Amino acid sequence: MTAVFSSAAPLPAERRRWLRALSRGGGSAARRAAVFTVLDVAGAVAFAAGLALTLAPAPHLPMGRALGLAVALLGAGARAVFVRLAAGAAGEAAVAVKADLRRRAVRSALLARNGHRPPLGETLAVAADAVEAIDGYVARFAPAQVAAAAAPLLVAAVMALASPIAGLIVALTFIPFIVGMVLAGGAAEREAGRQFEALSRLSTLFADRLRQLPLLLAFQAEAPTTARLTDAAETLAARTLKVLRIAFLSSAVLEFFAALSVALVAVYCGFNLLHLLPFPAPDPLDLRRAVFVLALAPEAYLPLRRLAAAYHDRQQADAAAAALIPATRETAAPSRIRLARAPAIDVDQVTVVYQDEAHPALQAFSLRVEPGECVALMGPTGSGKSTLLDLLLGRVAPTDGVVRIDGLPTTAGAPLAAFTGQAPMVIPGSLRDNIALARRDASLGEVVDAARRAGLLNTPGGLERRINERGGGLSGGERRRLGLARAFLSPSPLILLDEPTANLDAESETLLLPAIAEAIRGRTAVLATHSERVAALADRIVRLDR
Amino acid sequence: MTLQALVTAQRRRQRGSLRLASLAGVSAVCAGGALLGLSGWFITGAAVAGATGAVAAFNYLLPSAAIRALAIVRTVARYGERLEGHRAALASLAAIRPAIFTGLVRQAPERALELSTGEAVSRMVGDVDAIETLFIRRSGLWSAAAAAGAGVGLTALAGWPCAAVFAALFAVRVLGALTLAHLAAADGRALQQNEGRLKDRLAATLSASAELAAYDLVEWAVDRATAAGDALGQTRRKQHRAEGRQAAFAAAISGAATVAVLALAAHAPLPLAALAALAAGACLDGASGLTQALLDRAAMREAAGRIDGVLRPEPASTHRPLHAAALAFGAPRGGWIELQPGERLVLLGASGCGKTTLLERMLKLRSEPGWPIRIGGETPGALADAEVRALFAYAPQDAPLLSGTIRENLTLAAAEASEADLWTALRDAALEDRVRRAPMGLDTWVGDAGERLSGGERRRLSLARALLRPAPWLLLDEPTEGLDAETEQTVIERLALRLQRTGQGLILISHRPAPRRLCGRFLDLGGAPVIYRAA
Repeated sequence: MTAVFSSAAPLPAERRRWLRALSRGGGSAARRAAVFTVLDVAGAVAFAAGLALTLAPAPHLPMGRALGLAVALLGAGARAVFVRLAAGAAGEAAVAVKADLRRRAVRSALLARNGHRPPLGETLAVAADAVEAIDGYVARFAPAQVAAAAAPLLVAAVMALASPIAGLIVALTFIPFIVGMVLAGGAAEREAGRQFEALSRLSTLFADRLRQLPLLLAFQAEAPTTARLTDAAETLAARTLKVLRIAFLSSAVLEFFAALSVALVAVYCGFNLLHLLPFPAPDPLDLRRAVFVLALAPEAYLPLRRLAAAYHDRQQADAAAAALIPATRETAAPSRIRLARAPAIDVDQVTVVYQDEAHPALQAFSLRVEPGECVALMGPTGSGKSTLLDLLLGRVAPTDGVVRIDGLPTTAGAPLAAFTGQAPMVIPGSLRDNIALARRDASLGEVVDAARRAGLLNTPGGLERRINERGGGLSGGERRRLGLARAFLSPSPLILLDEPTANLDAESETLLLPAIAEAIRGRTAVLATHSERVAALADRIVRLDR
Repeated sequence: MTLQALVTAQRRRQRGSLRLASLAGVSAVCAGGALLGLSGWFITGAAVAGATGAVAAFNYLLPSAAIRALAIVRTVARYGERLEGHRAALASLAAIRPAIFTGLVRQAPERALELSTGEAVSRMVGDVDAIETLFIRRSGLWSAAAAAGAGVGLTALAGWPCAAVFAALFAVRVLGALTLAHLAAADGRALQQNEGRLKDRLAATLSASAELAAYDLVEWAVDRATAAGDALGQTRRKQHRAEGRQAAFAAAISGAATVAVLALAAHAPLPLAALAALAAGACLDGASGLTQALLDRAAMREAAGRIDGVLRPEPASTHRPLHAAALAFGAPRGGWIELQPGERLVLLGASGCGKTTLLERMLKLRSEPGWPIRIGGETPGALADAEVRALFAYAPQDAPLLSGTIRENLTLAAAEASEADLWTALRDAALEDRVRRAPMGLDTWVGDAGERLSGGERRRLSLARALLRPAPWLLLDEPTEGLDAETEQTVIERLALRLQRTGQGLILISHRPAPRRLCGRFLDLGGAPVIYRAA
């Protein structure tokens, strides 16, 4: 996939930094989640003490076995409460982090410069799937990480109070445990990146082919498309399994280590109790202490095992980070300027070369438009008419040269303009909603007026007719008129029209010309067109050549 | 075809892996319960032996060897369960996704097209992911049964009341978890719906356009696209809370089981009491498999409801065979305008009078009634989609392109076209020079839906694609729109030569005079009352 990781894939170190900053973004909720996870240790200690006091009641304490049972019950209850509180806080932290990320991803995609727009499916994968992939990292991994750093040593210390040697055994076994986790993590990181790439590719393919479904049907390309999808789906399955295999293997090794460590403690305690140790026991045990130590031993590894289980969440997040870091690096959009009066336009020796293109779309081009003047751009297709309009809107940055609107370079501040492009934007909703996008505070009367001037009023369904995402319900000509209606509604003293009468027959064009003439009056206007009749409305015609 | 049928077929295919996963799951649960119980027994027995001085009689070698063996079995079995379960699940999903796509494209086009892109993607990615656990947790039922059996057996060593209370708590564990899950079920549904809605909104908003910049709509669009995301966040938060409740409940019941067994084992030998208590706690955790399996079944019904909504069954085919490629259109003043292959017709009429709709009905992309058409003497509805579509090569009005390379866009029309064919088609569409100039040639990336090309270039690429398809009829909808006069002339001249060479017929929509001159006949759709259909 050319596009997925094209923009300088971030290095592992950068991803780590980014993820750490992300978990800080969870704020107090994230801190609470970590605290509750660590507090779980207190419940575990009480439970172990309760078991010990039940199996071997302490003679100097009241109530005998009943005390032990009560303490154990209390411990279990406390654990339940802390687990619940930790999950709630973690969820809250994740929600906040994801909402912020999603906004940044969507804004970046919308602000993408012409020619750099990521495929729709990729943006969907980033803003929906990759952002969701962060959930487990913030909600599970980050609190587990804090707990894993603090809780095992805490448990070992409590164990040491009952049996210093058992505490020491547990503390020493942490070392191979941690080394193992680091090694497994590194291997999984690479595979997780490839997995997310496969997911993104599948999602991109799905979204694109579904968007062009009528095309696939008309060309009877269902079978080859399904074959490609199958291929992409199988690649995803194979890569996912690779990631999982590593994750399962590492967590199996960790579980095994944990079991062996517990067995080591059990054997030490057993031999101590049997007086079979080959050396004089520094801490002679009784049953109460032994049960306490043994019941607590697995708890020392529990935070690490939880971390290992959540490691998959970290891998997912890391892979998602590879896509999210470039996708949330908001391209600095030029600030938008609301013009108070018809501006002067000054295009000075501007060259534009698009990425991966050998030939410039526009070369050393200069144009001066006086305030209130109307210029028509004519020239063969591909001669740079649309590029010039994009330059004026600040959507394309000049590779060389400068574009000024009223003396201000468009890279510093781009104007709001009355505009219609070659494929007017359509949002699901009514025709009226669609027109009103150009000026959201417009009254119904103003919208009706704009629609009338664009010839949209006497169409079936009127202003309330519903329009879907594919632009269904609008003919090509009506879509063009929608773009014009928007331009008529906009109050901006700068008007930019890209082929305003394309898709319209000669008669319709004739009817629209007076409306266009009225719209450009008193405004600075640039019209890109192939129509001599539209060009005739302008004060001056500028011809571009390829 | 239903999702249930797809899942059943995949389960059959993955039978080996699923059985292995179940076997491993059972082994893991039994080994886990026995491991904890044996450890408790060992410590307590050792303490009793040490205290009474019966050290020599205490066999410590066998239990400690057994503890190690059980640890190994549990580890290996759990690894096997996870790996095989996921292997089966992933292989199944990889087969189910394209199958759903196939089901979708076989629908009547109105049904397939009424589904928005975001919605369809979330069905195919999100909803299919939701059934993944269906395969993974398949072993859960067996594991839960094994856990219940092992738990009852091990606690019975400390007396039947212990076994009874364990069995009762096991039941409470399962029922309680199901009740909790039931309470959170609405949130689960809302989660899937919000996920779908988010993608839907994103897809509808993200076709970023210059208008967003011109009218200062970027923040508006961000709000609009992410509003569904915020709703998703709220349901996700509820889901976290629900998961927390489940975990808390599980922890409380496990603790309660240990305490209850210990309380009832007052008269049992101490080592056996310890064994029973620890095993009870461990075996109760095995119940999560059963709960999960039951929950997955509910999730499956949910996903099936959404996916089957897309895959409504096809009506039985009653199509008549196609005998001829001749076309006929109703004439404005009655009778028929008949066309033999090789003839050329231009459709006339004011903008919005239904010219494009007519082409789409010929291609069976729409089935609504409208201007009369006959293909080989039959209405399009009476003929099979495949036979009708094979007659036409279509260049739509909006010149849609795939997000891919120029080559990918061209070979959509003719998968086996040679390199020379591709260049000839590009030359005839007056796009050859442009592509030759690009450093990557035919492998130039055209951007998302072709956004890297100019409007005229997109149109010519769409035309070249139609030219490549060896069909009896070309359907060209505004093929020269947005082209300058000179390029338009080139395109028309080459099209005329090409039509002569191939003998293809042409149905043209164009409001420009130059291309109309290619056509000897015309049909004015504005010549009769037009029936508008409310959306």
